[in-house]
Formats: sequence, C-alpha cells, structure tokens
Amino acid sequence: MPQKAKGRRPTFFADPQVDKVLAMTMALAGEVSVLRERLDTIERLAEAKGLFSRRDIEAYRPSAQVAEEREQWRKEYLARILRVILEELEAVEKGETPESYDAVVRAVSSA
Amino acid sequence: MYEQIQHPLLPQVTHDELARQNFVQALKEHLATKVSPGNKVVYEKRARPRFVREAQHAPRDRHDVRRVMKDEPYYQTWSALQRISQEMMWEAVASSVERQLPDLITRAKQRGRTLGSLTLNPDLQIPSYHTAVDIHCQPGGYHSETCPDDVAAGAIYDRAVYIYAMGRMGPLNDDLGQSLVAYVKTTYPDFRPRTILDMGCSVGHSTLPYVDAYPDAEVYAIDVAAPMLRYAHARAEALGKRVHFSQQNAEHTTFADASFDLVVSHILLHETSASAMRNILRECYRLLVPGGMMFHVEVPQYQGMDPYDAFMLDWDTYNNNEPFWGALHDMDLVALAGEAGFAAAQVIQMTIPSAFKVARSRTGLFQGGDFGGGGRWFVFGATK
Repeated sequence: MPQKAKGRRPTFFADPQVDKVLAMTMALAGEVSVLRERLDTIERLAEAKGLFSRRDIEAYRPSAQVAEEREQWRKEYLARILRVILEELEAVEKGETPESYDAVVRAVSSA
Repeated sequence: MYEQIQHPLLPQVTHDELARQNFVQALKEHLATKVSPGNKVVYEKRARPRFVREAQHAPRDRHDVRRVMKDEPYYQTWSALQRISQEMMWEAVASSVERQLPDLITRAKQRGRTLGSLTLNPDLQIPSYHTAVDIHCQPGGYHSETCPDDVAAGAIYDRAVYIYAMGRMGPLNDDLGQSLVAYVKTTYPDFRPRTILDMGCSVGHSTLPYVDAYPDAEVYAIDVAAPMLRYAHARAEALGKRVHFSQQNAEHTTFADASFDLVVSHILLHETSASAMRNILRECYRLLVPGGMMFHVEVPQYQGMDPYDAFMLDWDTYNNNEPFWGALHDMDLVALAGEAGFAAAQVIQMTIPSAFKVARSRTGLFQGGDFGGGGRWFVFGATK
C-alpha cells in the first residue's frame, strides 16, 4: 500500500529541516503514548489478577544498588540522545571545519 | 465523544494500534481546541497590525491574511503540527488495515447480497481531480487498488473519518446524513421521496440515514472508487440497510432522466473541480423529477465571511490536498444552479444545525483543524 499521499508536501518553517525534525518528534511522542498505554494495561491487569497493585508501585523504594543501576542507565540514555551536541563540541576542540574535511577529501583523492 | 460502532466490517485493532490511533485523536483535539484558536490572537496582536502598517489598509480577503500569517512562528508551528497529525492519522489507520487486509476482503465478500446491490465498472475513468493529488492526504486516495477485491481504501476511510472528526460525527460517522435528513423532514414534512440518489457516497456513512428516514424509498449511491463501494456495500449489508451502490461519475451517470425525487451529496463538491461542479449540477437537474429536490452539504461559502475566518477555513486548500476547496467556496452557487436549469428563486443556501448535540458544543469554527466544529453544516439546494 502507498505510504505517501500524492501531492507536494508543504513546509512551514524558514528552514524545511525543522518541519522534518518536528515530524520525527511527534512520531516519537506518539510511540511514547503507545508505550504508556501498554504499561497502564499491564498495571491494571496485574492489579486485577492480584499480582501487585498500583499502590505497590507508588510505594516501591529502590535499594541502593537498584538506584545506582538506574542512575547509570539514565546517564547512558542521555549521552546517547544528546550525542550530537557533544560531537559538535569535540569538533570545535579539534578544530574540525567543513573546509578541513574537504581538504582530506582532496588529499586522499589526489594521493 | 461517541464510541465508533464496531460493525462487522470495521477494522479490528490491536492494543498498540488503538493506542496509536487514540494518540492521533488526542493530538488533533488538542490542536483544535488549545492551539488553533491562538492563531487568532497572533493575527489580531501582531499580523494584522503589521499588514495595516505595510499596506496602509486592512486585509481585504483571505489572501491578504495569508501573506502576513505565513511568517508568524505560531502559525507555522500550528500548521506543521496540523499537517503532521493528518499524516499520522492515515499511517496509524493504514498500517492496521494493511495487517488484516486479507481478512477484511474475506469479510466483505461473505456479507450477503440479500438487501441491496453492488455494480462496479472497471472501465470507468477516474477523474483527474482524484488522480492529480491524493485528496486530504490519504495515501492512494479513494480509488487506488493494490490487490483483487481490494477494500483497503474504504476500511481506512471509515476509521479515519471517525478520528478526523474526533468521534463527534456519531457512532456511525453519519452526522452529515442525519443532519440533512432532519432538515428535510422538518422543512418538507409532506415530502415522500420514492427514489433517492447519494452522489460521491464513499463508504456510505452519510447514505444510510436516508434508508431509515424514508423506508419506502429505493436508495441509490454512487462513487468513482471501487474499493470504497465494495466496502460500502458490505458495510450497509452488515448494518441491515438496503442500498444500491454503483461505480459511476456524478458528472455523467447512466440513470435515465427524471429517475429521482431526491438527490443529495455530502462534502462531495469541494473534492471535484470547476467544470465537474457544473456537470454535476446539470446532472442533478436531469436526474430529478419535476418538483424533485437536490441538497449538497458543505462548509460555508467565503462570501461575507471575515477575512481571517475565510483564511483559516481555506487552510486545507494549500496544506491538506484539497485543491478545489478554496475555488468552490468563492463560487456564485445561485448562478451555477441557474446555468444547470434551476430557477434562482428555487435555490437555497443556509446553515443547518448538526444532528449531534456533541458537535454543537465545539469550537464554533468550521475548520482550522476542527472539522464540523461549527456545530452546523452549510446546505446548498434547489427544487426542479
């Protein structure tokens, strides 16, 4: 089945790349909502079947080790999501520019 | 909000598919009620004063308003999100339909042919106003088929209309038909049509109210798109309604002169073209018996409308693959009806209340992301 509607897609921002980023963000927001709803179903089923209640979830206090593992996970998670910012900083530190890359392209092409 | 009736043809949803569709519906509702109204604030506080400063006169029409609004960051963000919500809606429904398409085709075939009928015409040429762009961004439009006996476009449309209207067009998406039926029955209590034609019926959601309203009438419904009609026929049979569906272009049908007492359409006209409009009105005149009536449900004409309101109503023309939307709403409908043979004194143009109370407590707008949010529909009609 076709994925795209025939007809030029309009863009609205000065830089059409922003339109794309927003579309991806909203798609992600949608999937977060799907996950949240699935989790809610799991919690309600668990409660209905006497496994654990949502009050148990609220009352849950992670042990020191669990808290540490979660902290580690959050750090990695944020580093992964914000990777592009750190890469930009690294490029500044190393003096990398579009011109410096083009120079490499020219160099390896002629050598 | 109404729950959509899970009739036997409506696609089934998995847990996550439903959650995905729920999200799109919530997004659309948020945009319509919380974000879209802010455009008017931006217009009044920033864009309009800027226009007056530069042009030395107030915005004269929707084109003037668009020239200043398109540069407003708030309007840009709303527009981008509105377009995205439309694309997400089709994706969330189409992916679900595609997963179960063979089953849907089987279910459509199994539906008995006991009440109404289905007549397809594989040689019918799909008009260019349907093939040029996919109307309101449904990938493949109404007409595209990817396998034999395809009903995908119809199944997608039935579910997507519910999401698009945010559940406020009734459990069977039949607000347009119900509202027009209520108007005709109230205004013409002695009118007893024996034959009724619904033009551009798609999945027949607006058609079925006529079966209940006039149980002695034979109800016919036409559309150019085979996947819509296959689905519409099976849907009507599943709901126990007798309708004769056939694949025909409303511009030139195969029905004999004076075949119908009542000819109706529901948001069909804006999905055609200037020349098709004229042909359709001429065809209505030809098909009606003397004293017969035609009614077309639409959103209001731009004439006399505040330029800002017309601008918002016109968003779909440029941003939602509704290329004829703007031109139609600028047309002189009395003159067009006159060209088709109807006497000017017999032409009516008015808004009628929505048959559904929920729809009447909406934003009060006719579009701008809140389809039918006016709680009223525009009716253009004439008696032959």
